[in-house]
Amino acid sequence: MELSSKVYEKDHKSIRAQGGLSMGLNARTNERIAFTLLTLSAMTVAGFVVIILAYIIYNGYSVISIEFLTEMPRMRMTQGGIYPAIVGTVLLIIGSMGVALPMGVMAAIYLNEYAGETRTTWLIEMAINNLAGTPSVVFGLFGLALFVKYVGFGSSLLSACLTLSLLIIPVIIRSTQEALIAVPNEYRDSSLALGISKWQTIRHVVLPAAIPGIITGSILSIGRVAGETAPILLTGAAYFLPRLPDSIYSQFMALPYHLFVLATSGTNITQNRPIQYGTALVLLSIVLGLNIIAVLIRRHYRQKLQI
Amino acid sequence: MTEVVQNIAQPRVAQPHITVGNLNLWYGEKQALKNISMHIPKNSVTALIGPSGCGKSTFIRCLNRMNDLVKNCRIEGKVLIENKDIYGADVDVVELRKQVGMVFQKPNPFPMSIYDNVAYGPRIHGVNKKDINGVVEGALHSAALWDETSDRLKSPALSLSGGQQQRLCIARTLAVKPRIILFDEPTSALDPISTSRIEDLIMNLKKDYTIVIVTHNMQQAARISDYTGFFFMGELIEFGQTRQIFHSPKEKSTEDYITGRFG
Repeated sequence: MELSSKVYEKDHKSIRAQGGLSMGLNARTNERIAFTLLTLSAMTVAGFVVIILAYIIYNGYSVISIEFLTEMPRMRMTQGGIYPAIVGTVLLIIGSMGVALPMGVMAAIYLNEYAGETRTTWLIEMAINNLAGTPSVVFGLFGLALFVKYVGFGSSLLSACLTLSLLIIPVIIRSTQEALIAVPNEYRDSSLALGISKWQTIRHVVLPAAIPGIITGSILSIGRVAGETAPILLTGAAYFLPRLPDSIYSQFMALPYHLFVLATSGTNITQNRPIQYGTALVLLSIVLGLNIIAVLIRRHYRQKLQI
Repeated sequence: MTEVVQNIAQPRVAQPHITVGNLNLWYGEKQALKNISMHIPKNSVTALIGPSGCGKSTFIRCLNRMNDLVKNCRIEGKVLIENKDIYGADVDVVELRKQVGMVFQKPNPFPMSIYDNVAYGPRIHGVNKKDINGVVEGALHSAALWDETSDRLKSPALSLSGGQQQRLCIARTLAVKPRIILFDEPTSALDPISTSRIEDLIMNLKKDYTIVIVTHNMQQAARISDYTGFFFMGELIEFGQTRQIFHSPKEKSTEDYITGRFG
């Protein structure tokens, strides 16, 4: 407050020193510079996205075929398809969302609707914030120590899903909390005034109104789960496994790790390039496809709520 | 009951529905209600008037314990509804609020269809599925909204006009079948025509319900109420029949407020 008023004073003095007309010119130039900079930043970001997408599609589309999508890898992964990696990634998404979504949403409901402003709540919020900023490889090591070794799930789909859900729970809690805060208190009050209990109010009025926001959080999480490599590498992803996981205790292949393997190991890295780009393209398409589904669900709920 | 409640404000009525005795309320350190005592008669409209911040809204929120939701709010004294202390240890607040409905200042229907808004309460309270239609229709009739909405019950409640939304909120309250309805400035966000419709509605409802209404609008209190209480600085200055309060107030500050000298 004090600082900003000082800054203002200084600006004010310098503007006065420049006199009336030059001040006008100065303001207009400033405006033009700011506008140009902001536009350039936006264009640059959009440009990079387009370039990356175009590059991957251009290099990868040639290998995309029914065979590529539905067959096991062969010949040291230089031929055949990436079917097990696709299935692995989809299972990871389903498994980790299945754990993280209910837990995250319930935790957010507790924090937002029930917990008071106590020291404990403050500590929980701090922990969530720190968790959200923790590097994913740390989650991987933690998952390795806890789920793989200590609990004894072994290097498995289960361990990897649990590890990934820890990674995304903070994201889901945060976005659910924001969605809950956005629900007007009038809804809560008028439901309670009808002799509806607090939990029923949350279930029938607050949560439905918050669903679009919760889905937005889930969209972010799906991308995260599909793309993370370090946590699954340490907890269950296989280097090469030409079959589908037959239980939650099996190891599995997953697209990001498969991509890493194709791009860094083996003898024919250069020759494998198209397969690498093809794999990246499939990974991107899965994430994009799931995002589109989530956006459609969100739109459905928004229309239902007439927001 | 009168032993419990001393220095009770007039009028002494034959059939008090709500009796308030020595009610004090604090928000943190600040005392918002000071020693309020009154009988609110059954099947009548009781209006509470007074300048902003005088405690009238705080007061009606004590009658369905909505103040329980406010942090640092402390209440002393007694509120008896049908001779039962609603602040007693054995009282189920959820059950109490079924008996004492409330309509708020801003029309606040849920983001659902018209039908679902009215059916919301009865459904959760476990009213038989085949009876719900009847309850909804009855409530919309009583709230004078049936003719306007019977052909579009499935359309969103938020597509209604402000006045219709407020009547929908009244229908939603009626569907739960309360015995008392509290109105917290129900027309302050509405245009004059919608306001007069709500006023007519409130006067009709007193046949079946005991009504307490907080209002900023003195003409409104004079038009629709049987009894009027004047609140000032957290105290109930004067309480009596509306005619008496408006024609021959006993207290100087009541007269000053009614004649528009302040507030």
